[in-house]
Amino acid sequence: MSQINYRTINIDQLDPESSVNFPMETLLPATLPQPETSSDAANVASQVRQLLRGGDAEGALRHALDTAPLGGDDRAKEVHLATVIEVLQGIRQGEMTRVLEGVCGSDGGAERADCLMKYIYKGMSSFGPSNGARSPAKSVSPQSTGGFSQIQGRNLGEGGGGQQMSVLLNWHEKLVELTGTGSIVRVMTDRRTV
Amino acid sequence: MSQSLRPYLQAVRSSLTAALALSNFASQTSERHNVPEIEAASSPELLLNPLTISRNDTERVLIEPSVNSVRISLKVKQADEIEHILVHKFTRFLTQRAESFFILRRKPIEGYDISFLVTNYHTEALLKHKLVDFILQFMEEVDKEISEMKLFLNARARFVAESFLTPFD
Amino acid sequence: MLLLDYQNVLIQSLLTERFSGAPPASIDQVVSDFDGVTFHLSTPESKTKILVSIHVKCFKELVQYGAQAVLEREYGPYIVSPEPGYDFSVQIDLENLPAEQEAREELIMKLALLKRNAMAAPFERAFDEFAELAEEASRYTSESAPQGVKEGGEVMSIHYREEEAIYIKASHDRVTVIFSTVFREETDRIFGKVFLQEFVDARRRVVTLQNAPQVLFRNTPPLELEGVPGVENASEGEMSYVTFVLFPRHLTPQRRYDSISHIQTFRDYFHYHIKASKAYIHTRMRKRTADFLQVLNRARPENEERERKTASGRTFRVQS
Repeated sequence: MSQINYRTINIDQLDPESSVNFPMETLLPATLPQPETSSDAANVASQVRQLLRGGDAEGALRHALDTAPLGGDDRAKEVHLATVIEVLQGIRQGEMTRVLEGVCGSDGGAERADCLMKYIYKGMSSFGPSNGARSPAKSVSPQSTGGFSQIQGRNLGEGGGGQQMSVLLNWHEKLVELTGTGSIVRVMTDRRTV
Repeated sequence: MSQSLRPYLQAVRSSLTAALALSNFASQTSERHNVPEIEAASSPELLLNPLTISRNDTERVLIEPSVNSVRISLKVKQADEIEHILVHKFTRFLTQRAESFFILRRKPIEGYDISFLVTNYHTEALLKHKLVDFILQFMEEVDKEISEMKLFLNARARFVAESFLTPFD
Repeated sequence: MLLLDYQNVLIQSLLTERFSGAPPASIDQVVSDFDGVTFHLSTPESKTKILVSIHVKCFKELVQYGAQAVLEREYGPYIVSPEPGYDFSVQIDLENLPAEQEAREELIMKLALLKRNAMAAPFERAFDEFAELAEEASRYTSESAPQGVKEGGEVMSIHYREEEAIYIKASHDRVTVIFSTVFREETDRIFGKVFLQEFVDARRRVVTLQNAPQVLFRNTPPLELEGVPGVENASEGEMSYVTFVLFPRHLTPQRRYDSISHIQTFRDYFHYHIKASKAYIHTRMRKRTADFLQVLNRARPENEERERKTASGRTFRVQS
């Protein structure tokens, strides 16, 4: 114990009354669905896939968003995220608006729109940091330039993951057109994360 | 403008518009203090869910909202060593002038190249849509500037090399 | 100014003024040149006798490679014993100048090229060595050449700066000149890499440069420098080695003078342009920053008309 520098201890954390220890669970509504596990999420994923194969993209998206594991553990959320992204990638650009109007227009559509917005942001963030570890100096030795030029445009090739991101960005744009910034605000404030 | 750039900037714009809804909020840990909660992080219930907008794994924006402040961090594309050094120099140049760029954070948060910190005092005194415009324009221009500087450097190097070697001929 | 001059411009202008027949005046001036070289121009005895002294860091090494002979050849009658603290001195008597204007200018130029001539010795030796080796090699076919001819002469090293050196090596078909150079900071290193890559590529890319020397660069000592004392291990990564391969067409007696002068300026030319690029980019960023600031300031709401008038025409300020 003598090794610890007492000045660096954050005593607020030890105080149950402190605001640092605010009980975050109290912010969640009581109507939270039952906790789910990854196997439940996997079941949903296979159902969704079936719908998708059957050509019912709208139904697939609707089902995926209705069954979002708001109370699930991290693993379940991850599996479900993959499912949602799969659905989003499976829908062609020309169909986006039609599908969105179908999914978000009907009863409970606002909930679904918010949920979709959560998934769009989660999709973009979950991808970034994991693969984002860029090596600062790749090679010190001169790269072979093929004898012509080391000048090349910067914006020609997309970096890794550009494909998936541009799908999500397109969805984001369409969804904002439909719901306005309100759903973004709800993503930030809703403690029921996906 | 590249195909995927427009939706990217559009997404950043709408996210920023949504995030820049701030109110005055006095610290609840220490009396008579009023600090950006996103930096102090003393009360978890005041911090909102962060948003990430990525274009690809080299370009992304992180928006961390809280009740009275928003932290916006940019990661600028760096395809190689030259771009890396140019981005580094440029962002350092800017952060050293953070005084006049009142919303610029002196130090970027880890994993990003440059950060902004917008507090409720800024949104009260300034026009919010213009602030958003600024950040958007910043993102566009930085990219363009880095490309141009790189092209310039290569062109100059080429010219210099050829000029030196010509007298030998 | 793109290429650097070979001569020292300050000495040149100073002497031109003195030689032009202006009334003699006493001079005491220290002139600095690249690579830590300093000159001292003074009139110790009388106002008409100008003493020009040079200090070169690696003068000992240069003498070893025949600098004295080269300098004697160039400055024969003017040489005096070196001034204390300097390595080599020449003295010119203003009352005893060549009569014709052209000859005077030639003398001025010669004096301004003092540094170039001092540094030229090892190059000249290498070029001579090359000629010998080439002669010898022409008597053998490439397979049967004896070891000595094939390998070429020994490596001459000139430590002309604190941490940097030039290495020269003659072979029967080429003369290799290697510059070792240090980049003080990361930016220089990367900028340098871009520049060097262009040096390497220029020959392949531009048709008119087909005959230019081949340029190579690497971060580890090249094979030619194996076993040369003083070549640091590459582990630091700060060192870069730039190799120029001079081909026989650059080594002919007609070309050698210019080739030597020109290659000497490489290091300074190279670093000069790196610095210039940095300065330019800095200016550019400054400009861009000002632009950004302007955009940001647009976010300030415009001040509405603060001055109001009462009915009686008096003005007052609205308390904000």
